[in-house]
Amino acid sequence: MSAAVPAGGLETAARAPRRRQSLWSKAAWKLRRDRAGMIGLAVVLVYFVAAVGVWTHLWATGWADVTGGKWEPMSAAHWFGTNMIGQDIYQRAIYSVGTAFQVGLVVAVLSTLLGALMGALAGFFSGRFTDEVILWIMGVLDSIPFYLLVAAIAFALTGNPYAMHIAMIVTFWTTTSRLVRGEVIKLKEQEFVEAAHAIGVPEMTIIFRHILPNTFHILLVQATISFVAAIKSEVILSFLGLGVKDGMSWGLMIAESTLEVLAGFFNNFLAASLLMFGLVMAFNMFSDALQDALDPRHVS
Amino acid sequence: MSGEPLLSVRDLAVEFSTEQGVVRAVDGVSFDVFRNETLGLVGESGCGKTVTGLSILGLVPSPPGRIAAGSIKLDGRELVGLSESEFRRIRGRDVAMIFQEPMTALNPVFTVGNQMIDVLRRYRGLTRRQARAAAIEMLAKVGIPAPAKRVDEYPHQLSGGMRQRVVIAMALSCDPKLIVADEPTTALDVTTQAQVLEQIVKLQEEFHVGMILVTHDLGVVAETCHRAIVMYCGRIAEKAPIAPLFAHPRHPYTAGLLRSIPRVGHDGRREDLAVIPGLVPDLLQLPPGCRFADRCPRRQARCDGELPELSGAVQDESRVACFYPC
Amino acid sequence: MEPLLEVRDLQKYFPVRGGLLRRVVAQVKAVDGVSFTLGAGETLGLVGESGCGKSTLGRAILQLQKPTGGQVILSGEDVTRADPRRMHRLRREMQIIFQDPFASLSPRRTVAQTIREPLDVHRIGTPAERNAKVEELLQIVGMRSSVLDRYPHEFSGGQRQRVGIARALALNPRLIVADEPVSALDVSVRAQVLNLIARLQREHGIAFLFISHDLSVVEHVSDRVGVMYLGKLVEMASARDIYREPRHPYTQALLSAVPVPDPTRKSQRIVLEGDVPSPINPPPGCPFHGRCPKAMDICSRAVPPVIEVGGPELPHHVACHLYV
Repeated sequence: MSAAVPAGGLETAARAPRRRQSLWSKAAWKLRRDRAGMIGLAVVLVYFVAAVGVWTHLWATGWADVTGGKWEPMSAAHWFGTNMIGQDIYQRAIYSVGTAFQVGLVVAVLSTLLGALMGALAGFFSGRFTDEVILWIMGVLDSIPFYLLVAAIAFALTGNPYAMHIAMIVTFWTTTSRLVRGEVIKLKEQEFVEAAHAIGVPEMTIIFRHILPNTFHILLVQATISFVAAIKSEVILSFLGLGVKDGMSWGLMIAESTLEVLAGFFNNFLAASLLMFGLVMAFNMFSDALQDALDPRHVS
Repeated sequence: MSGEPLLSVRDLAVEFSTEQGVVRAVDGVSFDVFRNETLGLVGESGCGKTVTGLSILGLVPSPPGRIAAGSIKLDGRELVGLSESEFRRIRGRDVAMIFQEPMTALNPVFTVGNQMIDVLRRYRGLTRRQARAAAIEMLAKVGIPAPAKRVDEYPHQLSGGMRQRVVIAMALSCDPKLIVADEPTTALDVTTQAQVLEQIVKLQEEFHVGMILVTHDLGVVAETCHRAIVMYCGRIAEKAPIAPLFAHPRHPYTAGLLRSIPRVGHDGRREDLAVIPGLVPDLLQLPPGCRFADRCPRRQARCDGELPELSGAVQDESRVACFYPC
Repeated sequence: MEPLLEVRDLQKYFPVRGGLLRRVVAQVKAVDGVSFTLGAGETLGLVGESGCGKSTLGRAILQLQKPTGGQVILSGEDVTRADPRRMHRLRREMQIIFQDPFASLSPRRTVAQTIREPLDVHRIGTPAERNAKVEELLQIVGMRSSVLDRYPHEFSGGQRQRVGIARALALNPRLIVADEPVSALDVSVRAQVLNLIARLQREHGIAFLFISHDLSVVEHVSDRVGVMYLGKLVEMASARDIYREPRHPYTQALLSAVPVPDPTRKSQRIVLEGDVPSPINPPPGCPFHGRCPKAMDICSRAVPPVIEVGGPELPHHVACHLYV
């Protein structure tokens, strides 16, 4: 047998590779198979539609109107009854969905972006000055009790309707940043980063083009976690009077319902709590499924 | 090698459930291993050699893997279907395994001696003092200098080569009948590899164990094995004693492999190496006929439609699965 | 003729920090005074085991690691003294191929993007010309254009390695450092990639620094071979001479240790005692004296000088007291 084969076997080596799926479609496929996650997603989407309706003034527009008597029970006119002043609890609860999503999305997106940026810089320049500075900032922020910090920021930004959002963003980014930093430290030792150096790609470009995209799985999961944390924190903050000022939220509903509960009227409290519980639970289920689907060890 | 086989594998099939379907990593493998010989299991990544080795020890991760068919008999005793607790009694005592990465077997928080003593006391019922003495003796046997000192060291204090020798010592300390060594020297430097291979050959002869050496390195096979099995895509391509396998390989894959390896001291440098064109097929998209067909220079029509079986009987010395062997 | 690359007394030390104040307590002398030249279009093989410093040497030459001392002279220009702008320009002359095909390509970038990146970074030609160049490079490494939009995880190791080679070729470098380019590949794929590299040498006149622990592979592609041990070059000769007449005891042991796929050759194996030592604070004198079967008294005291044992046609250097 002579070496009649073409040198390098070039033609057959160029044969079409096996897997045609992109990394995302593989993850999506995995996600679809997770029943709990799909149920969670469906529920979240229902809530989201409700929120969009609120933002576009499709419904729950009469949340502040006094349309009934004090503490009316559930009826056709008022599905969840009325509160102490006579406002429709159902409309208020639905309006709060809009508030929850607004707070959740703003905080989730911005805190994740900020965390990604800081984490990437700290990780890439780990051990050096930039890293030390960012770690120091993270340490300081983490050591201040959350509500103290929020109160301080709320006070400093009195009148600013976004004081609460800013306070949350300022505190939430550190968790994301830490995770991203750890991942970046691992990634920057990889040979494809070395290759980029060898070609002469500028450092900032390496960070944003090569390294950060490989942290998207972390960012996505952290964003969903931040979303839920934001909603929960908003409830507590509004309850404490540090949160939403105009508009309505579950926290405010729960706050106003404390007196009502003492008098034996639970509708207000239950409506707010159950709706919030539903969203948080569903989102958590979805977030878990998302994390499993994006686990890079399973993808590829 | 005559008499009853120590290990008898018949029609072994191992499947793995993946997201894209069920994959047969091992598809109808049959062979025997006798006492006091080393059998090489050779092939490239994905050929099923490691999974075959793991099956013998009941170490196929399940899920997602499982032994779908076949039998593995050690000294007449069927291993397929044994429970985990039964396997635990066999492992270490009757069959031992040496992995590519010694830290798979070594616990970093215990001293080397501790781990060996643990094994010796459990399987040979020795007292602490006896076990320690046996451990030191075993370390000396595998060529570790100053064993009395080493026995109290932690794995991270030893080099890679020494760790592997400790693992070998542990494997041998309970006098197993069969040792499965999966790429035992692949992770080692060339000079260290030479030392460890020499040890393995020496110890195999001294302890009269049967050994299965799983590797992709044909040089290692030539040095250490008495017989060898070449695997491709989950099936056996060729089985032969060492000298004939290298001198007159009959399966085109074996022949192609041997020709594509650059040799030290071989003149005719810089001429292109004879290459096996193409790629190993995806186990999820196997052709109906011979799996090597699309890379084979001897391919004919029959090869595309029919799957070749090994010639002759299981006990035959040389067998080849090819319609048009060299 | 001026050599393409001249390495003079190159050193790369890594500090080991310890203690409460993280002071430097020791040095890892990864590369400890290495000198050699490389002509245009020539291939120099660099062999050695783990800890010998060959990978670090390759990276130090490319300035991916900043050398601690010594010089790297490319076509008469001292690269170690180049300012960032000049260095950026010099990157076009020297490129690298990595060992791990799975880690050397950016997972979220397509093949086209990966191969195009060097051209974009150095603004070579128009975008249309760059795309044409990418297709041309794919052809050179033997892959079809259909792979352009695919991601690395869709390919096998051998194919990824080809993409890595295409990327290295994009800037038309005169020197390529190949760091164990076939070690992570299956045996049957190795030959394909080695043949490709051999073709690149012949047809494009690229000089290669071929780093590997696998002696048989190195011999196949190299004009000359250098053997490294603990950060030093202990022997350097033409490929033929290294394998026919190895002079240094380490080279001899290394050669005899390679398992040969030929059961009829019961080699006279030189089995060394002990293990490959760590490059942290290496012993005085010859780095090999601890394991050397021919060690003499002087070996533990004095670093051996480099002796020329070949002729002017075929230089053969050994750093060993046996030949003084």
